[in-house]
Amino acid sequence: MTLIEMKGLRKVFGRNIEAVKNLDLSVEEGEFLVLVGPSGCGKTTTLRMIAGFEEPTAGEIYIQGRLVNDIEPGQRNLGMVFQNLALFPHKTVAENIEFGPRMKKVDPETRLRRVREAAEMVKITHLLDKLPGQCSGGEAQRVALARTLVTDPSVFLLDEPLSSLDAKLRREMRAEIDRLHQRLGKTFVFVTHDQEEAMTLADRIVVMRDGVIEQVGSPLEIYGDPVSHFVADFFGSPSMNLIPGTLSQESGKARFRAPGLTVELPPSFSQAPAGEATLGFRPEHLAVSQNGGIFRGEVRLVEPLGKDTLLYFDRGGERPLIAVVEGTRTFREGDTLGVSVNPDLLYLFGGDGKRIRRGSKGTGIRPA
Amino acid sequence: MKRFVKKWRYPLFRTLMLTAWALLAGFPIFWITSTSFKPDNEWHKWPPVYVSKNATLDNYRMVWPIHQTGSIFVTPDQKGHGVAHESVTANKPWHALKNSLLIALSSTAIAVAFGTLLAYGVSRYRILSDTRMFQLLVLRMIPPIVVAAPLTLYYSVLQLMDTASGLIVVYFITSLPYAVWMTKSFIDEVPREMEQAAEILGASRWQTIWEIIFPLIRSGVVATFLFILILTWSEYLLSFILSKVDVVTLPVQLSKYEGSTEGRVYGHQAALAVGITFPLIIIGIFIRKHLVRGFTFGMVKR
Amino acid sequence: MTASATETAAGTGAAPARGSRSRGIRIFKWTLLTPLFSLFFFLMPVFLLQLYFSLHSWTIYLSSWWDADYAGFDLFREVLTESRFYWAFARSFLFAGLSTVGCFIIGFGLALLMYRPFRGHSVFYVLFILPMLTVPIVISYTADMLLFRSGPINDIMSFLAGTEIRFTWLANPNFAIFTIIMLEIWNWTPFAFIIMLAGLSSLPAEPVEAARILGASRLRIFWEIQIPLLRPVIFLALILRFLEAMAEFPKTWGLLQGGPGTSTETIPVYLYIVTWRAFNVSKGAAASYLVMLLMIVIILSAIYVLRREKKALDALYEKPAGGGEA
Ligand SMILES: Nc1ncnc2c1ncn2[C@@H]1O[C@H](COP(=O)(O)OP(=O)(O)OP(=O)(O)O)[C@@H](O)[C@H]1O
Ligand SMILES: [Mg+2]
Repeated sequence: MTLIEMKGLRKVFGRNIEAVKNLDLSVEEGEFLVLVGPSGCGKTTTLRMIAGFEEPTAGEIYIQGRLVNDIEPGQRNLGMVFQNLALFPHKTVAENIEFGPRMKKVDPETRLRRVREAAEMVKITHLLDKLPGQCSGGEAQRVALARTLVTDPSVFLLDEPLSSLDAKLRREMRAEIDRLHQRLGKTFVFVTHDQEEAMTLADRIVVMRDGVIEQVGSPLEIYGDPVSHFVADFFGSPSMNLIPGTLSQESGKARFRAPGLTVELPPSFSQAPAGEATLGFRPEHLAVSQNGGIFRGEVRLVEPLGKDTLLYFDRGGERPLIAVVEGTRTFREGDTLGVSVNPDLLYLFGGDGKRIRRGSKGTGIRPA
Repeated sequence: MKRFVKKWRYPLFRTLMLTAWALLAGFPIFWITSTSFKPDNEWHKWPPVYVSKNATLDNYRMVWPIHQTGSIFVTPDQKGHGVAHESVTANKPWHALKNSLLIALSSTAIAVAFGTLLAYGVSRYRILSDTRMFQLLVLRMIPPIVVAAPLTLYYSVLQLMDTASGLIVVYFITSLPYAVWMTKSFIDEVPREMEQAAEILGASRWQTIWEIIFPLIRSGVVATFLFILILTWSEYLLSFILSKVDVVTLPVQLSKYEGSTEGRVYGHQAALAVGITFPLIIIGIFIRKHLVRGFTFGMVKR
Repeated sequence: MTASATETAAGTGAAPARGSRSRGIRIFKWTLLTPLFSLFFFLMPVFLLQLYFSLHSWTIYLSSWWDADYAGFDLFREVLTESRFYWAFARSFLFAGLSTVGCFIIGFGLALLMYRPFRGHSVFYVLFILPMLTVPIVISYTADMLLFRSGPINDIMSFLAGTEIRFTWLANPNFAIFTIIMLEIWNWTPFAFIIMLAGLSSLPAEPVEAARILGASRLRIFWEIQIPLLRPVIFLALILRFLEAMAEFPKTWGLLQGGPGTSTETIPVYLYIVTWRAFNVSKGAAASYLVMLLMIVIILSAIYVLRREKKALDALYEKPAGGGEA
């Protein structure tokens, strides 16, 4: 069932800052939806329009079939976790959690019980008498979650809730949020600009760019079937190698040319229009050998990560070509190596950034 | 040696300058305090007496009498026997103190309460534009003397002349701009998300103000309150013009000693002045840290 | 199309009244504004009365004020042809100008010496704010005690000079105004001091340190880094102080009542004497009107300057759109 539906949503700040342009999106009941995109693309604005803090310039928002454009945020039955958490610093953790039910005039006994339950759920019962200022980053995060879930909202809105945490805590809290989602079975709308967070948490990812939706899909679809140069570049770490060049069609054979590199494309590309294009392939789909390959070059940097090793090749362009190889093999900086790629795992993007074609195995590849 | 001079030159210079000004700043306060304890034959002496060897509380007994009936009041004489006096001014200070307290406290409270609400509206809903905010300062910037005459007539029509409520109203008006400006700079520092968190949890707008904003800016509001209290407590002109007979405030009461039949009664003036000034000094020391914050009126960014 | 659909839906939808956000906000805004409006309406008659009096000839000796004779602009003419009025203006400007400059020079100096904490810092701080906490009328009586011919100030000066000095601080018509200016400076230096101190200590330390490492002198840092960043607050403080000094009454009146002669008669004292000593209410009203007009001109230009400063400040600190992480 559709829980939130946005139709033709637009938001203009001031006279001409168009933060969101004509957005259509529906959020299904119980799903974990992640809004992702670079800074300033309108994620927060979208979320704040759902919450009711920002009035849409145009368009409609329905929550459970009810038009909520002019409904107070407090009456939309939503919960929100803010980027800076916005815990009330002058109230104890217990009072913070109790705030929602108290505003909704729940009787004191029920309130106490629900505070306890919520605290247990995120494992902070030992913190109830402390002030937020005395909690660590991760603890404060849990308090913010408890404060939201105690009101039993139909949707949880989370705006980059993990961005202020260090890497380890971040992973921990990510798991926690995932667990909460499983356990509560509620709808989550989660904003982030971290693609890894998006990949691991989402049922569905919405990629935004400059106020419009670029692509909607499951993490695997987004990863394996990016509709544009932008999406391809955004997901995956290290990101996809993208090489600008030209595509020519010669007697039914597609050939991609760029400085220092020529690739014969498989027959599935034979319909692609000739002209300016960008060829893409993921670093983990590259094979490295002493000789041969579509490209030969000197290894400029070797970055061992343990399980894998990253090899950076200088291509003269602004971005180096990156290959991921098994960590067991040893390479030295300055080695000259050949790089080859499975033609079925190639992506081709047109001059406008839209994808023209991909190799036949483009989908269904798990992120490395 | 050279290094030594170089290292200490600035601190020495600083201490000298600061001490010089501190002496200048403190001397008058010292002088009224000291004069308030002098017996009457030392008030006008040359060379002046700095600290009296015959310090006495007589001035205080005279100005702040403890026993009194109507305009008759009793003070102990040199030998400790009670002596009855009658005076035009003598039994008034307590009455003036009561008036001053009532008027200053209530007008300040009203100004700060409404000022905070207005400031909240400006900070969050922009109910007044930047220009309007500056125009609000006009209420404070226009010299009160300019409207004093029509105000007197207006007040006599409204029967507000010589009443506490009349003064409370004008003080409310003149303090409002400072109340708004100062509290706004505190409200601006509270993150918006804090309120939105409350809002989405179901709090109404008034609940948000009361439960979230107010506790968070409380120390700022207290500082604003005390600052305005200082201004109101010391206000002279309006009080002098709008109420001279029944509802005399302390500053006006003090001015009644000048030119009264007793001549230049420095000791009594000083005793009264100490009573007016010291509460303010105590308040000022109490809020000194906050003064710094409130006084920048949001015109300095951190 | 979508916008109109939203409006109709909001207007006729299921439960528009309860929880209608736009309406709630509108009501809330107006509620917050009511005190300001009531205040405005309360004050209106005062200004109308003022206008009435300045156009009608009335003094307290005449009977009922409401059937005073219409005088047109005669009263304004009378005021404007009186040299005493202009003199009062000149004195007020001298008083406000000199005292403001004095306050700020001393206040800046002190703040520069004080903005970095050192031992004994808070003792000095407390001593420095004392004058501001002293009730103005008390200052005028205290000044009388300190400055009369056999007062302690002359005694101390005699001690320092080594000969007996009996300077006439108050009864000398050429000097009395400067005495009052000094009192005003004494009284309000703390205001300038606090504002500057607040400003200086809230500025980020890095630019100053960077400049110091680059070899800039203290004075240069002050002029090129600290002052420009503090300009808005300095302007606001200067303007507030100047205007409050224009309105100063208790010290001038309490100490000298405009005397000796008219040598300390500033605008407020002049208005007071005309209205409450000569009971010439109408002439006072006309003079007040003129003063008010002038003040409004000053205030409006001040507002213009302040707004410009505030805008510049906001722009300086505005975060560029987007920015941050990719
Ligand atoms: N209140 C506002 N007034 C003016 N412009 C705004 C306002 N809020 C957002 N914007 C602009 O709208 C655009 C979208 O902002 P938004 O905060 O939605 O981005 P975001 O995707 O959340 O970015 P981030 O990842 O940095 O949080 C930005 O260009 C921003 O500058
Ligand atoms: Mg954001």
